[in-house]
Amino acid sequence: MNLANADLLFELLTEELPPRTLLSLSNALTQGIVSGLDKACVAHGKSRSFATPRRLAVWVRACALRAPDRNAERRGPPVSASFDANGAPMQAAIAFAKSCHVAVGELERLDTDKGAWLVYRAVESGATTLSLLGDIIKQAIAALPIAKRMRWGSNAAEFVRPVRGVVLLFGAEVVPLEILGIQAGRVTAGHRFHTKRAVTIHSAKSYEAQLARAKVVADFAKRRERIRAGVLSFGAGVGKTLVDDQLLDEVTALVEWPVPVAGQFEERFLALPREVVVATVQGHQRYFPVERSDGKLSNWFVTVSNIESRDPIKVREGNERVVRPRLSDAAFFKDQDLKINLEAHAAKLTGVIFQTKLGNYAEKTRRVKILAETIGARISAGPEVSRAAELAKADLMTAMVGEFPELQGTMGRYYALVQGESAAVALAIEEHYRPRFAGDALPASRIGQALALADKIDTLVGIFAIDLKPTGTKDPFGLRRAALGMLRILLEGKLNLDVYELIGISAMAQPVQKTQVAEEVYDFLAERFRGLLLERNDGSTTEMIDAVLTGRPHSPLEVDARLQALKEFLQHPDASVLTGLNKRIANILKKAQIGNEVRVDTTSLIEPAEIRLHQVLAQISSQVLEAAAAGHYSLSLMRLMGLRASVDDFFEHVMVMDEHLVRRNNRLALLRDVQLLLGCVADLARLPG
Amino acid sequence: MAKLIPAPQTFQDLIFALQTYWAKQGCVVLQPYDMEMGAGTFHADTFLRAVGPEAWHAAYVQTTRRPTDGRYGNNPFRLARYYQFQVCLKPSPDDIQELYLDSLRHLGFDLLTHDIRFVEDNWESPTLAAWGLGWEVWLNGMEITQFTYFQQVGGVDCRPVMGEIAYGLERLAMYIQGKESIFDIIWSEGPFGTITYGDVFHQNEVEQSTYNFEKADTSMLSLQFDAFEAECRKLVADKLVLPAYEQMVKASHTFNLLDARRSVSVTERQRYILRVRSLARAVAEGYLASREALGFPLLNKAAAQGVT
Repeated sequence: MNLANADLLFELLTEELPPRTLLSLSNALTQGIVSGLDKACVAHGKSRSFATPRRLAVWVRACALRAPDRNAERRGPPVSASFDANGAPMQAAIAFAKSCHVAVGELERLDTDKGAWLVYRAVESGATTLSLLGDIIKQAIAALPIAKRMRWGSNAAEFVRPVRGVVLLFGAEVVPLEILGIQAGRVTAGHRFHTKRAVTIHSAKSYEAQLARAKVVADFAKRRERIRAGVLSFGAGVGKTLVDDQLLDEVTALVEWPVPVAGQFEERFLALPREVVVATVQGHQRYFPVERSDGKLSNWFVTVSNIESRDPIKVREGNERVVRPRLSDAAFFKDQDLKINLEAHAAKLTGVIFQTKLGNYAEKTRRVKILAETIGARISAGPEVSRAAELAKADLMTAMVGEFPELQGTMGRYYALVQGESAAVALAIEEHYRPRFAGDALPASRIGQALALADKIDTLVGIFAIDLKPTGTKDPFGLRRAALGMLRILLEGKLNLDVYELIGISAMAQPVQKTQVAEEVYDFLAERFRGLLLERNDGSTTEMIDAVLTGRPHSPLEVDARLQALKEFLQHPDASVLTGLNKRIANILKKAQIGNEVRVDTTSLIEPAEIRLHQVLAQISSQVLEAAAAGHYSLSLMRLMGLRASVDDFFEHVMVMDEHLVRRNNRLALLRDVQLLLGCVADLARLPG
Repeated sequence: MAKLIPAPQTFQDLIFALQTYWAKQGCVVLQPYDMEMGAGTFHADTFLRAVGPEAWHAAYVQTTRRPTDGRYGNNPFRLARYYQFQVCLKPSPDDIQELYLDSLRHLGFDLLTHDIRFVEDNWESPTLAAWGLGWEVWLNGMEITQFTYFQQVGGVDCRPVMGEIAYGLERLAMYIQGKESIFDIIWSEGPFGTITYGDVFHQNEVEQSTYNFEKADTSMLSLQFDAFEAECRKLVADKLVLPAYEQMVKASHTFNLLDARRSVSVTERQRYILRVRSLARAVAEGYLASREALGFPLLNKAAAQGVT
């Protein structure tokens, strides 16, 4: 055999794997094996992954048969310490040669400026790939991201689900290794029901085709596209199949041989809110709903079976049978829920604990309402904030939300409209949970924004007040999400609000009082804010972000505006002038501190340069602050440049550390005022240079 | 193609068919545990047998009581009291999935007609300090079985692992018989006429729901809970683990009744669960020690008989 390389095929045949993690598991296995080969310096070609409910497989093309040879060099003792006067080897040389498994005579000399050493040189031949495979595969398996590994039978091996077979081929040959307690071979299984006979894999190249003949579409992406096309074509007669990507992945991970099946439910269930039908059909049953051409939901669905049934009608009828009681339940819940109005549902919130120390949901509702009214007044949300707040949590008591927790808010909106609440109130009830996850839509209405902010602030402050703030990866109350949600609403909704004050108002309303809670919440929020600004990747650096966050500013929107202005200003060729000025002044004030209470006494200003600086400062100060107050931070920064000449002049002609105490303090106070003004948009000391 | 077996047409035939099938596979066919319990797993011949090194193969019907699931006999799919057909195989055999699928063939299901799927569903019982990984089994989209590899029971690691298969008998019967309501399931058919599930249990559902949701005396129940708990602890200390186990089962059911009356708050609920959990752990540890003291009798017996 004169081949330089061979294809590697590794398959784990398992019992059904968890569908939601199948793809990441498959990618990690391939990654692990490829990087194992790389680390061992085994050259190889492209890799491919296969993943089905019952198997994970990796094919790596053209793997070298062995790792390349390496030139080894080991330095031994100095020549001077190696031989005696007669040139006979001494103990050091003998021991070194022994450790290299050679005779002293086979060692070479290494001459350098600093002397000569004995050296061992040899070509170490690279290990064969066959001998490396066991470790590479074991390490790849051990490194897989598996939340819970399991045991089965009497085996010591652990994996995500029981492993029933291992195929390991290198070229045409089986690699005789034991993996997870199973002897590797070339035999695997085809489709669980369609293919009774075992499948004997000839080679990596034939794997996919052999499995296809055994009714297994081994390639995940190909299977996914086949399902997508299938469910779309099945819905085409009615309108359009709604293909949710997450569901598509999950379904792909549940079948080896996808066969779409269309089914129907009774039309009367279309009277349910669309979200309820979708939650039932898609969420619980993992069917694809079908929309009519007019955009309304139809009573059709497409499910994907794993079999070419002898009697497809049985499969269809079975699936229809399952969805019917679920939709009947939902219809029953809706009727039950509508027997009383949302106020009556809200009245029952006294019975549901939000958190033991923070009281029940009725109490939370009262706190949120007051805070929402305060916020509403600031952002001109109108008087309906109060009504929306009173009803916001009512749907938690409905049977529908009990069954479909993911519909909280949505059912509140729906029931509010049924009982004749205004569209704005109904919308705000739904919106106040937003954003529910990263990238989710934000509340768009003013009332929704006020309510969403109030609800999140109340949760944050309350949980901090009872010392249950998140630690490590544990965040049971979703505080990180709440904090990020708040910040996104403020920034993207362009709401200029004083969060520190709102936190304070919320803290006072909590049943548990804790000193410094506002500071703790503020710090937590600032930490998320820093992350959020950095993640935007818009060119803002950590230094810039720190520069606008010093001094604990109260309005995130304003902070963002300062950041944008600072970033823009720093593009200016003379930007370093301001940072330079700031640094020079800071150096002086560091050595000679001056209290904030010391005012500049104009009568003690004597040098022309200091008088001029004082005048210029007064003039520029009002211009700078005026621009800042109007939110024109770029303009503020540009106007600060006007200080440059007078400050330079001052430093050239005025001796700050004058012997005369009053004059000295006066000059220090003047510089301090300049420094204060320089920091009015951002703390320039945080910036490099 | 294998010859198709006719499907059992009555509820009792379904039970007979499963018993016959699993008896042939070597299972000890037992009877229901004579106490109120929330799942077949509470049967001592699953919970306790899952602990320790001894092999165990059993199958039985277990009455399952879930007070909060009661619907006064009004809901065609929900009951406060129903049946599970439970199979436990320890150590779980390599072909356990095939054995299970054969049981479906034995019930008359042609597996090239119906779409059978194993869909991830991991099981955890906080009260039993137990968890396992496995699936719910779908038949044309309907869940018909829970399939679990126990990893830990009563806080004790399962070595070897017991495989548990729990069939939902009513669901299977409804499907086979084409009924839209549990109460319409034909229980038996013969010279004395036809008896339905409703004939046998409808009144019970109505009355038990009323008791569970409206009448159960919660102060009595909470006193009982305390008493069962104390008794259990005492019996564990006396090394009488099987009686202790029954006190734990009683405590657990009493808690379920309190829960159905909604008389426990969220935190209190958590505390009750932890109290039962701690009993379950004590009993499991006590059982392991007691079997060890006896020299793990089934281990020796299996060796003597040359089976594994």
